[in-house]
Amino acid sequence: MAIQRSPASTNSNAPRRPAASLSMDDINFSYANGHTVFDGFSLHVEPGEFVSLLGPSGCGKTTLLNLLSGFQKPSSGTIHINHQPVHPEMPELGYVFQSPQLFPWLSALENVRFGLSMQKQLGVKEQLDKARHYLSLVGLDKVADKLPYQLSGGMQQRVSLARALALEPALLLMDEPFAALDAITRNNLNEETLRLWSELGQTVLFITHDIDEAIFMSDRVVVLGIAPQGIHSELAIDLTRPRANIDTRKLTAFLDYRTRLMSTISDVIHTDVTASNIHS
Amino acid sequence: MRFSAKFHWGWLSLPFLLIVWSAIASQYPAYILPQPWDVAQEAVRWLKDGSLLLHLRASLLEEIGGFALATVVAILLGSLAGLSNNFRDFISPLNSLFMAIPPVAWAPLTMIIFGLGYWSIVMVIFIAAVFPMAITIQEGIQSIRGGEVRAARTLGADTWQIILHVYIPASLPFVTAALRIGFSQAWRALVAAEMIGASKGIGWMVSMGGQIGNSNQVLLGIATIGLIAWLMENLAFKRLEKHYQTWRVQ
Repeated sequence: MAIQRSPASTNSNAPRRPAASLSMDDINFSYANGHTVFDGFSLHVEPGEFVSLLGPSGCGKTTLLNLLSGFQKPSSGTIHINHQPVHPEMPELGYVFQSPQLFPWLSALENVRFGLSMQKQLGVKEQLDKARHYLSLVGLDKVADKLPYQLSGGMQQRVSLARALALEPALLLMDEPFAALDAITRNNLNEETLRLWSELGQTVLFITHDIDEAIFMSDRVVVLGIAPQGIHSELAIDLTRPRANIDTRKLTAFLDYRTRLMSTISDVIHTDVTASNIHS
Repeated sequence: MRFSAKFHWGWLSLPFLLIVWSAIASQYPAYILPQPWDVAQEAVRWLKDGSLLLHLRASLLEEIGGFALATVVAILLGSLAGLSNNFRDFISPLNSLFMAIPPVAWAPLTMIIFGLGYWSIVMVIFIAAVFPMAITIQEGIQSIRGGEVRAARTLGADTWQIILHVYIPASLPFVTAALRIGFSQAWRALVAAEMIGASKGIGWMVSMGGQIGNSNQVLLGIATIGLIAWLMENLAFKRLEKHYQTWRVQ
């Protein structure tokens, strides 16, 4: 699927937001029951960077996303996107969830248009044009009028991606977006997401359980420990782009990164007594 | 297309009923259990002098009044109970209590309060329809997935936009199902209430037929009740519901 297409910027006349930086500084967060998830957590992402967060269950990924989206507030510490404090309605933020969360009563095209029509900055015709443009970017222009239940799981997730991209976010949060898909579809969507990212150039924070996926996609893989350990370690991925499923995944360097991350993850799981109890 | 591909077993059920009726009726004198064609003659008589339409009109006006009132209140109660856990906890026991009481049991009381006539019947219909409708709508609202609401919020929708563009479209299948359930509950209660105290209407027609020993009139009333319920269910509500259900196919 690694077809080179003309850059999106030539088709879209609206100026795109430049990629955003993300800074999380000294975050503390505990639930009311006393369970501490973050204790002095910090994470910095550069504009345009593709960063994966990799971690076992119980590392606090869900809480991290809730904090990042402003749905929950940290007990202390600051979260800035482009040097502005984060809040849920921030137009700079885009989300792709683990399940597509499409509106089942709307067609694929109307789903992609949803955010544009909520924000009312464009006329109806411009909204539809833009929605069509992003739907074609994910290769779904032919099923624009289909309802979500008529689409496969992979297609639904593409619509969901197009819906987030249509708002031209400066920072895209992807929460295990392809975890529920089969391996073939997942590999295709990995490649396609990278192609869109290289065209659109936003910052991406990608949460995943999958080591291969993290290496294939990222500039940098951040391994999270069991809560409240925070960041366990980081690994910069120095593989040339554009990356392609077969060419990249067979590289010795790719396999080396994989071996290192596997031993890191096994380290994370086995150093934590409570975790090994939970997961045994 | 071959005939067998079009054949639907449902086409046999009404002829079957008429044959069984006729067979049983043949064992009795016509003044006790008349034949279908006797009732058909009775229907022609009632239609010609206009009295069938008069009674039907009276019943339908009561039905519309009670059903409309119940719909408004049920949407209000059901939405609140769907959205607020506290309100749901508060209203659920009341709902179960009222659902357990046959609506027609209220008829004597509404007749004391409102007098014999339109409003006493409308109130019985209202009580019969409002609770099952409210429950259906409440369950519908509860089933709206938090994920859709959250997705809408991340796409920049404010609270009003979420109500308008998520809650309302997502609840239309349940609201239309509630309309169907409410109408049929209202219709049953209407007939029962009219039999207890009314001076016109299809229920009155049945009960009066019983009192004067006119089986033809009783059976004509029953057939009319069934016909109206069937027409509304199949021609109006099921189509409406189906129209708003297409996207729910999983």
